[in-house]
This record gives sequence, structure tokens and C-alpha cells, in this order.
Amino acid sequence: MNNFWTTFTHTASRRIKSKSFIFATGIMVVLIIGLLNLNSILENFTSDDDELVSSIAVVDNTDSDGEYAEMLASMEEGAFEYIHFTYGDVNDALEEAYDNNYDYVLAISGESANMEAEFFGEGTDFTVAQEVNQDVQRVKETLVTTELDLNDEELAMIFNPVTFIENSLSQNGEMQTEESHMQAYWMVYGLVFAIYLIVITFGSMIATEVATEKSSRVMELIVSSINPVTQMLGKILGIGLAGMVNLAALALAVFIGSTMSGDDFITTIFTEVIDYSLIIYALVFIILGYFVYGGIAAMLGALVSRAEEVNQAIQPLIFLAMIAFFISMFGLNAPETTFIQVLSYVPFFTPQLLFLRIGMGTVPVWEVTLIIGILIISAILINILAARIYKGGVLMYGKFSFKTGIQQALKLSKKEN
Amino acid sequence: MTLVINNLKKRFDEHRAVDGITLTVGKGEIFGMLGANGAGKTTSFRMILGLIDPTEGFVTWDAERLSYKRTKLVGYLPEERGLFPKLTVKEQLIYLMRLKGMKKPDIIREIRHWLQRFQVPEYENKRIEELSKGNQQKIQFMAAVIHKPDLLILDEPFSGLDPVNADMLKEAVLDIQREGTTIVFSSHQMNNVEELCEDIIMLKHGKAVLQGNLRDIKRSYGMKTITIKADYELDFLKNIKGVLNVDKNKDGAAINVESESIAEEIFKEVANSGFVRKFEVEEPSLHDIFIDHAGGDSDE
Repeated sequence: MNNFWTTFTHTASRRIKSKSFIFATGIMVVLIIGLLNLNSILENFTSDDDELVSSIAVVDNTDSDGEYAEMLASMEEGAFEYIHFTYGDVNDALEEAYDNNYDYVLAISGESANMEAEFFGEGTDFTVAQEVNQDVQRVKETLVTTELDLNDEELAMIFNPVTFIENSLSQNGEMQTEESHMQAYWMVYGLVFAIYLIVITFGSMIATEVATEKSSRVMELIVSSINPVTQMLGKILGIGLAGMVNLAALALAVFIGSTMSGDDFITTIFTEVIDYSLIIYALVFIILGYFVYGGIAAMLGALVSRAEEVNQAIQPLIFLAMIAFFISMFGLNAPETTFIQVLSYVPFFTPQLLFLRIGMGTVPVWEVTLIIGILIISAILINILAARIYKGGVLMYGKFSFKTGIQQALKLSKKEN
Repeated sequence: MTLVINNLKKRFDEHRAVDGITLTVGKGEIFGMLGANGAGKTTSFRMILGLIDPTEGFVTWDAERLSYKRTKLVGYLPEERGLFPKLTVKEQLIYLMRLKGMKKPDIIREIRHWLQRFQVPEYENKRIEELSKGNQQKIQFMAAVIHKPDLLILDEPFSGLDPVNADMLKEAVLDIQREGTTIVFSSHQMNNVEELCEDIIMLKHGKAVLQGNLRDIKRSYGMKTITIKADYELDFLKNIKGVLNVDKNKDGAAINVESESIAEEIFKEVANSGFVRKFEVEEPSLHDIFIDHAGGDSDE
């Protein structure tokens, strides 16, 4: 047990302290925080570049005695500076605009019931006109409601939004509105991809680490002090811990980034759109999948003699993960098909396929329990077999071949008398 | 505390890697295991360490099988040297020695002690890949002895070392022996074996072809070596019956003969031929015995 901890902490700390790990995690963290705050960052840049607020000359030809123009000019929170133009008509204002005294010209005319606004300007930003339109609209509403002398209740009747609730038709089912379907779809898509990435990245990490220790021949020294099986488990868990630290750092970055931005859209995503029970399932499947694939990766790493052969050795494992990934891409659109249901019992596919079935539809509790049970048992069996091959494999040097390699490894690790 | 190996066998399919060796090494002895490449030394060491199970027979240390529970009793220097190339001397020795159950402060103290002894204290924080091969070997040796094992297994400890470093390591081995450690080692350099070992076993195809006290073996060995220094051709001695070979050198020849009685005949022959500056009959060197027994089809 002691040696397990020694190997576990040694593996994890070496990885976490390594420059590549720190850099990769750091860059990801900065990227995530940056992306979540993209809006405010861009705003900073634009306001730095031209601090001048665009000025708009307002020519008021309405029957309100210039009240519209005054009202617009008194608006403070807008993105523009409205200036009541009183030195002539629209043409005079346009002249001044040509001389660059104003950026835009807005001419309003008519009465409240039938108001017309004309906007003159140039440039590529189509949102300017929209915003000006909104400003005029708002000013009109304010002026008209004051004119009508409405009380707060009456105002509320007009302006309060409608409360809109979605409900499911079936009793305990989840409602499958278009929106929630798409939410689940993208979440499952993202997490299936995450499972795939994690399994192959950390799988090859394990195999590489084992092969490196073998090729530097330090392995023989290590296994003279520690049972290879203990060492293998320490290694798998150590790298797993490093992976978890990585994930935790990214999650923290998401949290910091979304808090910093304070953007409604992002906050809504995190509080309402994301289904946290799915995230927990994803974590469970990531961990179990990691054990299934990690055990095999360690075994394959032990079969090669040189670090350069690792890629060749773990190819079948990567293919397996890829097949699982492609099947899930298909399954996203047909989670209830028998094909997907049957395949979700196969341990190599369970993490992605069962997760997909849970995410996209409803799977009875007994089935979830049964499949996870099968997954756990096969993870244990795979690791026992992997450990036996690993035990012999680490003492074996020569040209890499699956068949003879595994045979030889089993022969070397054979338990005798 | 003795190491007992009894009728140890290891078969891989039809290939008999180790084929029934039996030996006993007492506490504080240095025992030499000799044999050409592929004779079964490394497989025997791996069975002593418990890395692989024997097909037949057993190995005990202190009347019990060596298992991972007793790993701190054993130190091992494998034939294929290997350390973590990217880790510093200190980092990897801390990891390897913690696996032997040592505490970090003790490890650091011992590392400094040994680096001092090997006159390379500046290597403490150097990465292994930055060190020369000979210096890597010193670190490798430290990885086998820092935890003060009761049983030390050294597979080819002196290969690749210059004479100065080889002597330094030899001194260390002897010191460790004086502290009571039992040492089993293998070497291709017979002079090292002659210097260090009292008892030896010589393996060929997994079998012992020679075994026992080194001095007794040499004394009772029929073959003798005659060293002659003379200024004329000694080739004609080849024709005498009982002469095994004539190894000419720049001022004479070393001649192996079947028994001492042949030496007399040779003496007469050379005396008739002319002046002889040196004529000496010696016991054979271990080198000659090794060639005699393990030579020939050494590479399997």
C-alpha cells in the first residue's frame, strides 16, 4: 500500500509539475476566461480606439415643439450624443454633417400617432440605425404615456412581458420541446466528445509513460522493489489524478470567466440550460471508461520496448474509441434504436453510448444499474488480465508484436509452484 | 541469513534457461556467478529477486522466499542500466529509495554521503541524461545500496567503467561486504572476480559446469599455464602432445598444458633451443578456465 502511494504521488506530481502540463492547462484557462469575456474585451478595445461618441444632429419637425429632440438630447445612457439642431432645416444639418460637424443626421416629422423618422449616415455598422430607431421609439412611448397621463398599473399592463411556460404532455417524461431537445443534443454531443478525448489522451499518456520507463530500462529496477501490478495501478490512478486536476482547473476557469463577465446569456446557460445530473453521469462514465481503456493502455505500453513503438501499439485502442465515438454520433439522432441499445452493453462502448441514451431519452433505472455493473466488472477483469501481461511485459525486450508479445508476457508472469 | 538456491529450474517452452542450479551463500560473502551471454545469469537473478517464478526448485533468503514484502532487504543493479533520464539524481533516488521504504531526509543524507564518496557532490541536482555513462553507473550503484540491503545483487557492476572508477566501485563493494551484506555478482571481467570472490559458480546453458571455492578450483585444475620469455620462435612447442595452445606475445609466449608433467618436457625442449630469460609454471587464470569451460559456442 505504501509503495502504491509512493508511485501514485510520484506519477501525479511529476505530471502536474511538468512544464508542458502547466503550460497547456494555463493556456486553456486563459482561453476559456478570455472567450467568456470576449464582449467586454472587445468593448474595451473599441472604446480605447475612438473615445468620441458619435454625434447625431436631430432636426425636429414634429408638432411637439421640439420636445422629441430635447428628450433625445437628454438621454444619457445611450451610445450616441443627440444634439437638437435648431439652426435650419434638414439640408442645413446635412451640410454641417458633410463638414464633419456631426456624424449622422436624424430628421423626425409628423405627429405622435403617425411619426416618421429619416436617418442619414454612412459606414458599415448596421446596428447604429437599429439603436437609433429604438431610441426614437422609446422616447415616443415615454412622451405618449405622459401625455395620456397613465398610472403605474396601466403602464404595467402595457409593458410587462408575458410569462411563458413549457410543459410536458406525458406524466413523468421530459418535455421534448425543440429547445430542450437541442440543449440535450449539444450537451451530449459535447460530453461524448469529452469522454472520447479524455480516454485517448490519457490512454496514450499511460502507454507512453510505461514504455518510456521500459525503454530507459529503469523499469527492471522499479519492479524489483514494487509489485508491477501495484505499480501499474499507481500509475493509472496517478495520471488520472493529473487529468482530474486539469479538468478542475478548466471548470474553475469557466466559473471565474462567467462570474467576471456577468453576461446574462452566459449566466443563463450555467444556471438553467446545463443539466447537472448529466454532468455527474458524464464524470462517472469518464472515470469508468478511463479504467477500461487505461488498463489496456498500460498493458500495451508494457509490450513495447521503445517509446517510438507506442503509437503502433495503442492504435487498436484508439480505433476502438473512435468507433465508439462514431457510433454515438449516429446514435445522437436515434438513441432508441435496438442497435444502440445492444451496443451500450459492450464495455468499450458503454461510457459513450449509455451516456447518450440517458442524455437523449429515458433509460429505466434497472438497466442503467445493470450496464454500469457490467462495466465495473469488466473494468476489474480487464485490469487483472492487463496486470498479468504487464508483469511479464515489463521484463521483456525485443521487436514488438501483439500475438507473440502477449504470449511471451503471459509465460514470463506465469505463476508457478 | 543465508541465500539458498535449490535445484532451480526455469523453462520457457522447450528452452531451459536455468537448469537445476544449487548453491548456498553465507552472510557477508561475495559470490561470483560467471557464464557467457545467455548462460542463465540474469534469469537466475530475476528468480532470486522474485520477479519471475521458477519452474522447479526454490530460492530462499533467511529460510523464506523473497517477496515484495521483503523488498527492502534486497539491492539490485541490473545488467541493463536504466534510470529516469529526465529526473535529477536526487529526484530519482528519492523515488526509488522510498519504494524501499526509506524516509526522505534519510535518503537525502545518504545521497550526499555517497556523492561525496564518489567525488561528484555537484551532481545532486543534475539530470541523469547530462551525466557521462560512467557517472550514471555510480548513480545506478547508489540506487542499489543506499538503503543498506542485506542481500546485494550486482549484474555486471564494472562493465563500461574506466580503471579509476572501477577501483572506486570495487572499494565500495568491499566496504559494503565488511558491513555484513551478502553480495552475489556476475562479471565478464575475470580479474574482478578473482579479486573479490571466494566462491563461484560457472554456468553454461543454464547448468553449472564449475562450482566451489575459487582457490580450490584453481589449485585442482589440471591445466597449467607456462610463461616463457625467449628470443626465438616458440611455435614448435605446439607439436608436443598435451599442449593445448601457444599464445605468442612480443617477448615470448603463454602456453596452456594439460598437466604439470608436460611442463617438464617443454622445459627440456626450450633448454635445447637456446637461452631462456623466464620460465614459470602457474596455476591457470580464471580467464583461461572460463574460456576452457564456457567458451566455444558462447552466444546463443
